[in-house]
Amino acid sequence: MSADVSDLSLVRRVQRGDKGAFDALVLKYQHKLVKLVMRYVRNPAEAEDIAQEAFIKAYRALPQFRGDSAFYTWLYRIAINTAKNAVVSRDRSPIEYNIDRHDNDESYDMQGRMKDSETPEGLVLTDEIRTTVNAAIDALPEDLRTAIVLRELEGLSYEEIAAAMDCPVGTVRSRIFRAREAIDHRLREVFEGGLGRAEELG
Amino acid sequence: MNEELDSQLSAMFDDQLPPSECELLARRLSRDEQLKARWGRYAVMGAVIRAERGVRLNAPLAGRVSAVLLAEPALGAQSVAGALPRRGLRWWQPVAAGALAAGVAAVSILWLRAEAPSSVASLSARLTTPAAASGASVIPASARERGGRADSYVVPPSPAVPAIVVPSTELANYVVAHSMFSSPVARRNLLSAFMTSEPAAAGAEEPPDDVKSAAQ
Repeated sequence: MSADVSDLSLVRRVQRGDKGAFDALVLKYQHKLVKLVMRYVRNPAEAEDIAQEAFIKAYRALPQFRGDSAFYTWLYRIAINTAKNAVVSRDRSPIEYNIDRHDNDESYDMQGRMKDSETPEGLVLTDEIRTTVNAAIDALPEDLRTAIVLRELEGLSYEEIAAAMDCPVGTVRSRIFRAREAIDHRLREVFEGGLGRAEELG
Repeated sequence: MNEELDSQLSAMFDDQLPPSECELLARRLSRDEQLKARWGRYAVMGAVIRAERGVRLNAPLAGRVSAVLLAEPALGAQSVAGALPRRGLRWWQPVAAGALAAGVAAVSILWLRAEAPSSVASLSARLTTPAAASGASVIPASARERGGRADSYVVPPSPAVPAIVVPSTELANYVVAHSMFSSPVARRNLLSAFMTSEPAAAGAEEPPDDVKSAAQ
């Protein structure tokens, strides 16, 4: 299976004037892009602003995107340049990250920064989402959990996962889908409850 | 929701769906909000599994981007507009309208001129017969002094002379009446040409024999 085929079909739709297809690309990459930008700026809200700017720049530049590289690679470059320009224009020093640093250190650091700008409701909801997903993953049967973790954490293709788990590619596809369905069943309740809470808060 | 559709969505999220199926699902995904929400939750799952700790999982970033892009023209429309620039559309429209109006006016003039000899003859005969009978001339004294040239349409005839409807005046009125449909430049050119050519044409045109004899 050729990589980036789904992104490319969405990109082609956007290039033909379908803005809804761009929403799907934003939904897919927003977290990755914010995470990427946070290497350059301290504040998550500021990182979101820069990510938003990068997405809008990408949308405007999409007519020039020919598909020579993967869409995310192209978007990644736009986001890095946008973040660097933002740092220069605001006269702030970029944060240097040691990618070998232990995850727990980073998470502690990030949580501390998030608390500077995030509302209490937002923090609660983010924590609730995280707890729900982790609990749902823990509750998965071993074969489903392995498949989804290999896919999401290690970024392996279905063929590679099939080789690692010694099963057909179709089985991998089915396991990953069933894992997502099980997690989504719980996650949907949190999102719907969270949206309801947000509306109550006005 | 259809389980097969959800299975395809999961595979598409991982870039593991055949291109032909991707095309169809991409179309549906761009329009189906429920499917899009599920797609967004798949992204949230991935962010949690990858322990993307600094990222707000409930962030309304996609909604914000979508709101900004609402004001943007769709890319397909942009490329069509790019192929035919708006500035190009603006300049030729009045020129074309003016050319069309001038063309209509020119055709009208030609047609009226082609019709003119017979109508002049009949009108002249009709108007000059009583005058000839009474011994009066249809050509005013001032005209006679100028050698018998016809009146210009801008110079009113002498009160002593009966009102004569000269075809060229009708023609001028016709042109003026229709000039509102032509551009100012075309209108001015047309009228100028008409005014400058009219005396010469009138002078070149031989009056009918009966008018000549009456003048003498």
